[in-house]
Amino acid sequence: MENNPETNKPSAPPAAPNGCGAGQGSLPGRCGALAFPFVAMQENNPVRFSRMEALQTGTLFPGLDLPFKAAIQAKTQLKNTALVELMALDFAIDELGLYLVTHSQDQEALQLYWSYIKLAQEGRQKYQELYGPLLQTDLTPEDGYAWLKDPWPWDEGGNA
Amino acid sequence: MFVYEKKLQYPVKIKNINPKLASIIISQYGGPDGELGASLRYLSQRYSMPYPELKALLTDIGTEELGHLEMIGTIVHQLTRNLNEDQIRAGGFEPYFVDHTTGVYPTAASGSPWNAAGMAVKGDLIADLTEDLAAEQKARVTYDNILRLSDDPDVNDAIKFLRAREIVHFQRFGEGLRLAKDRMNEKNVYLVNPSFDQ
Repeated sequence: MENNPETNKPSAPPAAPNGCGAGQGSLPGRCGALAFPFVAMQENNPVRFSRMEALQTGTLFPGLDLPFKAAIQAKTQLKNTALVELMALDFAIDELGLYLVTHSQDQEALQLYWSYIKLAQEGRQKYQELYGPLLQTDLTPEDGYAWLKDPWPWDEGGNA
Repeated sequence: MFVYEKKLQYPVKIKNINPKLASIIISQYGGPDGELGASLRYLSQRYSMPYPELKALLTDIGTEELGHLEMIGTIVHQLTRNLNEDQIRAGGFEPYFVDHTTGVYPTAASGSPWNAAGMAVKGDLIADLTEDLAAEQKARVTYDNILRLSDDPDVNDAIKFLRAREIVHFQRFGEGLRLAKDRMNEKNVYLVNPSFDQ
């Protein structure tokens, strides 16, 4: 089952023979070295949230969604503004980027990463036409040094 | 090098001021397990890492933590805007206010200023990554404690996000250790320090 970045739907990986399931990962085998901290390795092509769900949860991977009791409440609904959509896309890119550091051979994840990068280029265009530059070096249709302009991200809500 | 992008990683829009909560949350700005310590620890540890995966991991996570530092600063800033003197007194905010007004200063909730003693760079691959695992757990617990103490949904929304990140970072540091171990002596990982020995 392919994850289509356009439909933004979560994906399920093909069943792997030694698959551990979303909340588990692989250990070195029946035996491991003494006196060493082992963290189970997340498996290749893991199940993913949609981009918006990922941003609202704080991770792209249901396997890593481990909430605290004092905060198990209805998931926050973020507004679908141009900024929030870009935040969700950039977040998916950051998450996949970290995953790829320790899973650099996962071809499916790599393909998804590049497809998100391309989408993000359009997302930045769209945001910048409305609100001005994201990087100091971004060109915008504005006259004058648009980089200076309020709001800055910490001012009440920025442009969200 | 560092480039700044003019947006937060996650939205922070706090509707209600709360100086008392601000003086708790400031611990994730300048406290022992806060984001300033996290970013500086990871960005400093990366220089002595021998393998590219670990250089990338520490750089990327260290950079993300700077973005989290920004979110915490934003939360404290929004919680303390337009305060009048009664609100300052009612919030128990006076000790912070007298020295910093409503500026954002790197200190712990206890009033101890940020201290590098809260972080370590040991120059040994296993020690540094194990330190990082511990750091992410301590940050996660601090966020748990903030969630116990706060009933503001806008604040909790951002805090939940930051907490979730700590768990993911813990996982990645653990994976980094696994990858490093595969390149070290199979019978004895402590034979040499790959961050130092040739």
